[in-house]
Formats: sequence, structure tokens, C-alpha cells
Amino acid sequence: MKKLTRRSFLQQTPISAAAVSLLPVVPALAAVRHSPEAVAPQSSAKSTGSMVVHINNVATGEMTLLVGARQIVLHDPRIIACFIEATREGGWA
Amino acid sequence: MSSHREAPEISKDPVADNTDVYAFVSPDNPNTVTLIANYIPLEGPAGGPNFYEFGDDVLYEIHIDNDGDGIADITYQFRFQTTLQNPDTFLYNTGPISSLTDPNWNKRQLYSVTRVKNGHETVLAENLASPPCNIGPFSTPDYATPAEDAIHVLPSGETVFAGQRAEGFYVDLGAFFDLLDLRPFQNLHINPMEAAPGVNATNRLNVHTMAIQLPKSMLTHDGSNPTDPTDPRSVIGVYASASRQKARILGPNADIDEYGPWVQVSRLGDPLFNEVIIPLGLKDFWNSQSPQGDKQFLKYVQNPEVPQRLVELYPGVFPNLAAYSKPRADLVAILLTGLPAGVIAGFQNSAGQTLADLVRLNMAIPPTTTPNIFGILGGDLAGFPNGRRVIDDVFTIEVRALAGATIPLVDPSFTPDAAADQVTDGLTPSDISSPFLPNFPYLGVPYDGFDNPSS
Repeated sequence: MKKLTRRSFLQQTPISAAAVSLLPVVPALAAVRHSPEAVAPQSSAKSTGSMVVHINNVATGEMTLLVGARQIVLHDPRIIACFIEATREGGWA
Repeated sequence: MSSHREAPEISKDPVADNTDVYAFVSPDNPNTVTLIANYIPLEGPAGGPNFYEFGDDVLYEIHIDNDGDGIADITYQFRFQTTLQNPDTFLYNTGPISSLTDPNWNKRQLYSVTRVKNGHETVLAENLASPPCNIGPFSTPDYATPAEDAIHVLPSGETVFAGQRAEGFYVDLGAFFDLLDLRPFQNLHINPMEAAPGVNATNRLNVHTMAIQLPKSMLTHDGSNPTDPTDPRSVIGVYASASRQKARILGPNADIDEYGPWVQVSRLGDPLFNEVIIPLGLKDFWNSQSPQGDKQFLKYVQNPEVPQRLVELYPGVFPNLAAYSKPRADLVAILLTGLPAGVIAGFQNSAGQTLADLVRLNMAIPPTTTPNIFGILGGDLAGFPNGRRVIDDVFTIEVRALAGATIPLVDPSFTPDAAADQVTDGLTPSDISSPFLPNFPYLGVPYDGFDNPSS
């Protein structure tokens, strides 16, 4: 199981439009994609296809990306904070 | 039983439910070994219009450990793909099915076989045809022809079959799960009734079978041909599993997407292990684990529940068993390590001390022309628990072992109760309406839905 930093995750695992459609946090992720760290090439994004994000532990910021037959574990409390915000009434969603 | 609907979660997922595993030296081709893994328990033959089939979304595997560490050294993977010829009919077939390419056959399955050996994957074959289900005399009038055509000889040396077969495991489920009633002995039960013959609860039901036959030398870790029963290299350990991908997303238009690595949801080695040894609260967990970690379940083998229940439910019948308080080293040997040399003259099926639930087969023991359904308990070293043949009465063998019949193998001071060598559910292979075949894939022709059930 490959461990990634937030920076390497955003560089190596592009979030495609199909992936966004599976997540209820479009504005939050859109913000991430527009950050200086999110420099995913669109051609790679198309080949990656959709994916599922499972937040394993809100407290530690650990989440698992499920893409194809792979899983990638990463830690990023800031992204999870965006997800949590999106679940609140009047939040991002 | 032997692992049909044995755990809470897998009982709700029959397509992935591993029901039986067999491993034996092929009686008609003794230079080869046949491995069989069955799935989908208790198929009613009339279960149309969506007749039973393998899961396209399930990874089916047969694993072989050939160096005694409980870890698979060779794995055969089976993956299925269902094709629909005509989406505008509700029928499985629109006329008689006379061949594997018959245009009347609407819903078909093709499959691939991949061998994983020491971590290296090789796709051995793709687009192999499974036979149809046995529908009835109008739809499958000559069932044997497409079924025989579905036996494929691969260029790599294996012969494979994947499709519906008659259930070969015979057992009186209804009685045993009614407080361990054994009909021939129910006059001795705590709720006594007149003794009666057993009833084969799985008769006239089907399963889905994956079978593979291959030269023995393809199974040993050094490629040798096993001829010496005392040589640990002659022993293999076999188990089967089913896995699903980690996440499933249901779309708005009946579309389903699956994501992530494969997660094991079912496994099976020795018959009845998860069924009656592992307690209800751990059965799902057991299914998720690999055999090399079975040391964590050791205490359930050393102190199984069935003997305690037999003592309670058959008062006065098992006094010696009731008084026996030592950990059951005989069951540990039979189920977790294999029988070491010196326990039975001229025999061993232990390649190591790793505690792992595997069907252990000493491939150097030749098949016999006069097999005994009680296997080693009946003096037949070619039968269970040396591997498992389709004819073996594994229910009776294991009940007798649990009742104490095998304790003297490791503890000569113990005298089994007279009943220990006699308890049985009263069934034999003659209680199976579709008989076993003399050759591959050995399990009988599946029952058709027109005649089963019948008035």
C-alpha cells in the first residue's frame, strides 16, 4: 500500500470530472484543483477514470483512494475538513 | 455444509459462497491431481428464468501451498464474463441448446484462467466457454454434449471445466441442525425418537464447479514427480477463495461500478471447518483471513464445541469423551498441520508445522480401485483427510473424529466410546440421484429444472 503526501497525491492522482461526480464536495475539490499544488495534466485525468474516496479516520486525516483495482492511502486533514464542511447544512454541497 | 451458507455475511452472497473443495489423485489418470472448488450453494434446478451463474464481479481462486508454510505458491484464478445474445427476450434460451455456440442460447458465460506462480502472473486461456445450466428436455435435450465440450485442454498442460454440476456433498442437514440429531441414532438423543434412515438434504440440487486437472509435477515446488509418500515434497495444501472489489457504487440506471483491490469474502479448505469449528461471532472474520494466520483459531480446534454438544445431547453415550479434558491434538493434526510421519504406518501428509486450514494431499499415495468412503478411518490412505475425493463421507468422518475416534492416534491412553466409531448421518453416495462420473470433472450431470422438483 503506497503512502503519499498531499503534494505527491495531487500530482500523481488526477481528479477527473467523473471522479468529482462521485463526491459531494465539488466546490471544495474545485478549490483544491485550482491551488498551486494541483497541477494534474488533463490527459492523465481521462485515463484514470472515476474513483472512490473513503475517509478512514477523520481525526488523523487518513483516507483511501480506490481507483481501478488499486488503493492509495494518504493523509490530509485539510481535504477532510473540506469534506466535513460540505456535509454541514448550508455548507459547500 | 460442508461450507454452504456457513457464515452470516457470505450466506447473503451465494455467488461468492465457496461450498466444497476437493483435491485427489485422479483415479483414471494417476499421474495427475484434480482440484475442484464449488460455489453457489443449494441451487434449485428450476430457478429460472435467471438460472444460476458465476459472478462477473467475483475473483475465484484455487490456491496451492507446496512448501508447508501455509502460503499459496501457485494460484489459479478464474474470471467470468457474461454475454447476452438477445436482450429482447425474457428467456434463457429461445430453442434447444445443442452446442456451446448454439444461437438459441441467449445468456452465456466465458471465462479466463490465470496462473500466479511465485508472484508471476500468466494468462493461460481466455474466452473459454462454460456449459449452459441444465434447463429441461426441451431446452437441453442432450445436456451431456455441450457439457463435455466445455472441458478444455490448455496448451500449458492443465485441463479445466467451469460450470453447473450436481451437488456431490451428501449430508442430512435438516437433522444435524436440529440439535445435532443423527437420525440413525436419534433413539439415543435427549429428545428420543425411533431411529430412522438419513435424508440427503442436498439431493437433486446443483452447484457451480471450477475443476482443474494437472500433472503432479506441476504442483511440487521443485517440479519433481512425487513417488515417495515419506517425502515432504509429495504433500500439497489446497484451499479456494472468492474475492470482491472493495467498493461498489450503484448508479441511477442499474449501472454498477466497482473499485479498489480484491478483498477475500469466502475461503474454504477442510470441510466443516468454518461451519462447526469456528463460532458464529468469528465466521465472517475467518472468511477474510488467509490460512497462514490460522494459529489465531487454534483454541477452537483444540477445544471444539461439537464434542461438548454430543455429550449433552446424547446422555450417557459418550462417557469417555465427556471425561477427556486435554486439548485435541488429533484434530489439530487432521485440520491444521496434517498428520506427521509415525502416526499411521506408511503415511504422512504434513509438509511443515505451520497451522493452516488446508486440504492436505500426499500425492505419492496412489488411488485405489476399491475406495472406502470413510477414507483413512476406513483404512483407505487415498481418502480424506488425505486430500478429499468426491465420494468421501466427510460428514461422518469428521463427526466420528470430533466424537473421539481419532484421539488414540496421538493419545494411546484414550479409549473411544463405542459410539464414536458408529455415529453417522446414515448416508452414502447412493443417496445422490445423479451419480459421480468416472472421469473429469467427476461430479455428476446437473439436475434439470423440468424434472426437479417433480410431483
